[in-house]
Amino acid sequence: MSVNFEKNTFKKRIKSMLGVDIRRMFTSPLFYIMVGVSLVIPILILVMTKMMDGTVSVDPQTGKETVMEGFKNVWQIIGAVSGGKQGMSMDITSMCNINMMFFLISIFVCLFVGDDFRSGYAKNLFTVRSKKDDYVISKTVTCFIAGASMIIAFFIGSMIGGAIAGLPFALEGANVYNVIMCIISKVLLVGIFSSIYLLASVFAKQRLWLSLIIAFGVGMLMFMMIPIITPLNSTIINVLLCLLGSALFSFGIGFGSKAILDKSSLV
Amino acid sequence: MNAIEIRNLCKNFGEKQAVAGLDMTVPVGSIYGFIGENGSGKSTTEKIICGLIHYTSGSVKLYDRDYKDPDVRSSMGVLIEAPGCFPGLSVWNNLMIQATNLSIENKEAAVREVLIKVRMEGAAGNKYKNCSLGMKQRIGIAMALLGNPKLLVLDEPINGLDADGMRIMREILTDIAKSGSTILISSHILGELEKIATHYGIIRNGKMIVEMTAEELEKNCPTFVAIQTKDNIKTREILQKKYSKVLEDEQKEYLRIYDAESPEEIVKYLYDNNIIVNEVKTDKIGLEEYYINLMANKEVK
Repeated sequence: MSVNFEKNTFKKRIKSMLGVDIRRMFTSPLFYIMVGVSLVIPILILVMTKMMDGTVSVDPQTGKETVMEGFKNVWQIIGAVSGGKQGMSMDITSMCNINMMFFLISIFVCLFVGDDFRSGYAKNLFTVRSKKDDYVISKTVTCFIAGASMIIAFFIGSMIGGAIAGLPFALEGANVYNVIMCIISKVLLVGIFSSIYLLASVFAKQRLWLSLIIAFGVGMLMFMMIPIITPLNSTIINVLLCLLGSALFSFGIGFGSKAILDKSSLV
Repeated sequence: MNAIEIRNLCKNFGEKQAVAGLDMTVPVGSIYGFIGENGSGKSTTEKIICGLIHYTSGSVKLYDRDYKDPDVRSSMGVLIEAPGCFPGLSVWNNLMIQATNLSIENKEAAVREVLIKVRMEGAAGNKYKNCSLGMKQRIGIAMALLGNPKLLVLDEPINGLDADGMRIMREILTDIAKSGSTILISSHILGELEKIATHYGIIRNGKMIVEMTAEELEKNCPTFVAIQTKDNIKTREILQKKYSKVLEDEQKEYLRIYDAESPEEIVKYLYDNNIIVNEVKTDKIGLEEYYINLMANKEVK
């Protein structure tokens, strides 16, 4: 008795896997919550720091006065002009900005990928998928889309927040072209981070705590490079650099993720 | 051709050997009842077949191909332990995701079809996490049935099902097997398994101890005459004078005589010994008793 099987080509596998992930992303509340949070965060930051701007706090022991300084310009929340004085400062403007989105993206990736293992869906998924390359590619693409959406949501939120807070939109040391290049660079940078977070998630599988610790740890190590390679006055060079880095990291780390899935137990 | 062919399969978890040189042959189109105690290695074997865990040594072939062959694997349906569904999504969306995973052309129609099969069409909009245990089990079965799989691996699929659910499950599996698909099913509810299985494999301590067809089981299960009298203890003493194998059943209601020619012969013999028989019937031991005897190392015949 002979049994014929339909050819399961790479094209077919990647199409179905992307279909699964895109459908999952758009049908689960997680994606909308993350994008919503990304939209609200800059509004809250800009409005609250504006309210606190110039507030003087006094240390009761030393009597030392500290003046709270908020954002002076909307674009400060997007990035600093490289070479400018904010470049290496550690005040609120350098910490609470669009780059913190790369930490929020780690939460999304760890939850999204970890859900496959925690829910037990991995059993259904990997029973019909002996090759893991389609899984890694699809997850990288999906997490990139989600991360890019969060970066864009933060950018939109910054514009809204800036308008509400009444902050100036005037660009100093950069122009509209630079801002666009800066945002594109940051979006492309998501590829590097999402592939790292994916690796952490497939390594940790159903242990969300472990994937978050690894993702946060690696994210912290790489956090300082973000403002350096994606300043507000970015050019096409920054975009190309991020594109290249993103492609190399996704490819290289993707191989690592695939190797983990190939060598380890999936349930 | 065999749907599953396993030779000398071993799987170690550190020091513990979960599967120890297992041989298993599941013919195409069969309903293979995979039986064993808890921790005997059933689920581990099933997970290996599904490619979810790696084995230490041996070989696993599906339809004469390597078990990792993507073409074969895309034609498999699985329900191992609990159904793998996203709790926050609706039943419909969970099934649609699996239909997408299987590259099914007309997803809506396929999902609707399996929901009707498992009598869950009314609960399609319910969130999976709000479903009862029985409903979840049915959803898991529906998920495994999507895309008319050629090989179905079901681990305890009737757990949590009510009597009607078990009947539906029986009908579904029989229909699938008729269409040429192969089903590997493990269950502790042997009475139900006996109604559908065409082949059996009994595993113990990671080793296959018996593999047989339903016909072979039938031959291995002896018939007996069961009688009920007012005083079974006295009756047993009298019967043991003539018959060599007289046993009491588990409920201690009937006496079983395995080497009698006919029920009439026993009734006459007891009547001659002034014992009135209240009830007499011929029966044969089922899979459950065969299995229990086998596990207890008792001689079955």
